[in-house]
Amino acid sequence: MKNLSRSFSLSLVAAGLLASGAVNAQSLAIINATIHTSTEQGVLKGASIVMDNGKITAINPAEVSADEIIDANGKIVTPGFIASNNQLGLVEVGAVAGSRDAGDDKAGIDFDVSLAYNAHSSLIPYARKGGVTRDVITPYGGDSIFAGLASVVDLSGSLESDVQKQAALVVHLGERRKGSRAFTLQTLINKLDAHQTKLSKKDKKDDDKPSTEDKVMAKVLSGDMPLVISVSRAADIIELIKVKEQFGVNLVLSGAQDAVVVKEHIAKANIPVIISAMDNLPGSFDSLHANLNNAGLLEKAGVKVLLTVGGDASHNIYQLRYDAGNAVSYGMSQQGALKAVTSNVADVFGINAGSIEVGKAADVVMWTNDPFEISSNVSRMFINGTEVSTQSRQDKLRDRYTTDSNMPRAYTK
Amino acid sequence: MNKFAPSLLAVGLAAALVGCQENGPQDDKITINKNPYPSTYTPISTTSTLITNATVLTGTGERLDDADVLLVDGKVQQVGKDLAVKADTTIDAQGKWVTPGIIDVHSHLGAYPNPSVESHQDGNEMTSPNTAEVWVEHSVWPQDPGFNRAREGGITSLQILPGSANLFGGRGVTLKNVPAHTMQGMKFPDAPYGLKMACGENPKRVYGRKGVLPSTRMGNMAGYRTAWIGAQEYKRAWDKYDAEYAEGKNPEAPNRDIKYDTLRGVLEGEVMIHNHCYKAEEMAMMIDLSKEFNYHAGTFHHGIEAYKIADLLADNGSCAALWPDWWGFKMEAYDMVQENVAIVDAVKNSCAVVHSDSDTTIQRLNQEAAKVMYRANENGFDISEEHAIKWITTNAAKSLGIDDKTGSLEAGKQGDVVIWNQSPFSVYAKAEQVFVDGAKVYDRNDSTYQATSDFMLGQK
Repeated sequence: MKNLSRSFSLSLVAAGLLASGAVNAQSLAIINATIHTSTEQGVLKGASIVMDNGKITAINPAEVSADEIIDANGKIVTPGFIASNNQLGLVEVGAVAGSRDAGDDKAGIDFDVSLAYNAHSSLIPYARKGGVTRDVITPYGGDSIFAGLASVVDLSGSLESDVQKQAALVVHLGERRKGSRAFTLQTLINKLDAHQTKLSKKDKKDDDKPSTEDKVMAKVLSGDMPLVISVSRAADIIELIKVKEQFGVNLVLSGAQDAVVVKEHIAKANIPVIISAMDNLPGSFDSLHANLNNAGLLEKAGVKVLLTVGGDASHNIYQLRYDAGNAVSYGMSQQGALKAVTSNVADVFGINAGSIEVGKAADVVMWTNDPFEISSNVSRMFINGTEVSTQSRQDKLRDRYTTDSNMPRAYTK
Repeated sequence: MNKFAPSLLAVGLAAALVGCQENGPQDDKITINKNPYPSTYTPISTTSTLITNATVLTGTGERLDDADVLLVDGKVQQVGKDLAVKADTTIDAQGKWVTPGIIDVHSHLGAYPNPSVESHQDGNEMTSPNTAEVWVEHSVWPQDPGFNRAREGGITSLQILPGSANLFGGRGVTLKNVPAHTMQGMKFPDAPYGLKMACGENPKRVYGRKGVLPSTRMGNMAGYRTAWIGAQEYKRAWDKYDAEYAEGKNPEAPNRDIKYDTLRGVLEGEVMIHNHCYKAEEMAMMIDLSKEFNYHAGTFHHGIEAYKIADLLADNGSCAALWPDWWGFKMEAYDMVQENVAIVDAVKNSCAVVHSDSDTTIQRLNQEAAKVMYRANENGFDISEEHAIKWITTNAAKSLGIDDKTGSLEAGKQGDVVIWNQSPFSVYAKAEQVFVDGAKVYDRNDSTYQATSDFMLGQK
């Protein structure tokens, strides 16, 4: 073990000072940065950004004035990445039932998982290693096709984290272990139809208080709340496009391995698609067209693409940047891939972050190099204008077992 | 690695017991066919290929810039600068990188294939905690599209293992990643068999639910010990039979038991253990168990906590086949560190391997190795590309007992080679051409060399 140095001890000092969800009272500026804005502005070289009171307050001001000024020396700065479709803070250990709160047999339209969000989960600092500053936490659901309500959380790890509730209604369609997909799609259509009828009735009595379900479905039907439907087969997607046309819902496709087959239809219907860039095996008869090229092909067809980590996404959120890199390698544009992990997610879920723009939340990441490349890493990171650390429990374990000591390891902390 | 140490004690005992059989006319000798499902794979290349001007990582720890690799009759013939040779085909690999074919020691392709439908769940014989009698090669569906995807990621050899539900899951099989429509057509000639064992949560969960042993970790250990005692008796009986027959006697052959054939193979050093085992204290006990019954503990797979016992693993000559960063899906996977592979690797005589256990990451073992290398180097290590490549080539070959055949670019080794468009440690790296035994089996720019599964043909 003699080739190990203690180069990380400095950053541990910083870790103690960090990870508060409170908005930083101090203003902060980053100068001489290569800013990938995730906006029409594209990439700004030698640029500066000012953060104050939790928000981005200026980009390239004539004169930079702030309590603290950081010289980026040309390094890349991006908006913090926004993950989605995972159970961060809702699961600690997959196989430990008591640490799993993302699903419930009885879950339905009013199932709000944010009530179970644990900002102190050890997964959160680890996720920050990937430059992820916000996340759309998503219910697993239960027996119903309606899995429940997604929420958006910041990754400050603070009990006062920003939690944006009711960010989307999540529905599971497509192949079933038992029964027919026709039944599940009919269930969705009937539900939409019933609530549409209910809303159109003008002669409501005053004591008819709307239930949570009524309120959620009203937002879904008005298009104010995205309806995220996990589905994959091309034929199913075509049916859902009809549902969108009939009810005017703000449809978002998730999983969508075979979306590429009907990409023009999806683009024309203006439906965003959440996919894992690494999905390239025909896991079922619904996903025969899963391919590494799909993210790029959808982008080229004009579809708004959101990238998400597949598999055990909650524990592996930090890999989102590598997924984006692979998507680029297989045909997505560099800026398109950046948007797919920042501004596109913000647009779909109504998050005031995900781009370097005045007025947006000051979720900002400075990188040692190309954010998608394995050789690079987070250099500094800010959530709501407050610096956060990427040090995690994993680093403490590594240090314990790589630090020479004559005492049992248990005494190395 | 003391893998082939004979069980001297058992041999001695068997000899001592000789003497009670009558001499007389001998029945035909009963011998056990150790290779009843032999490989039918034959290397197809009879030509020569010269790859020139590449950055070559040899797999032996060397990096050669602007170097050439010559493949002749399926073998690596020369590696070096400005080789003054002619070949049937010359590939200008200026700006590209060349490595040995990538080897994954832990895959379930073919046994848990895609599509992942009910009738394809052939990887875990979850009917008894000891199913050493099953051979995963009998579950391999060679049309699994995952084999093709893995080849496109540079995988030229891989071990298919049964799952981890059982204490003894059955035999693994090592394959050459060539397209074939029979399992035998992929089987790596003369590769030793593996035996899958599993520690920890999986066996005790699966059988605890059924109300049979094991329902605890101590139950796991009792299950292994009972099985090895039976295996020792079985081996003794056959050794005795063989010895007495050799003396001209006419002994009765013991009853054949294919479960014990496999365990006996381990005791005789012919079958290599591949042990799904996450936790430090369990790996330490599995090493003691192997000493109790005089076999080699083999390779520890998944070893989330291998970094806690790196010295012990190296002292025992055990490889550790690890993920760079999977964690948290169960308690025994909670103590992950991103530098696990590097910490194991830093010890003298170590054998660190990066494995996938995934139909997805098997396609990018280069990136998996890269993650370890870069994260470790940020934290005080100094690992080069030419060293890190060993985790997915030479060391993997050693773990499978095929390092005399493949895993490095040395004269005489099998011509298993990948040409990458750039450093394989980049997220943007892609395998451009893949060779197995000197034959091109994949070319990213030529559909002639892009295999398609029967299952995918004609799908709309």
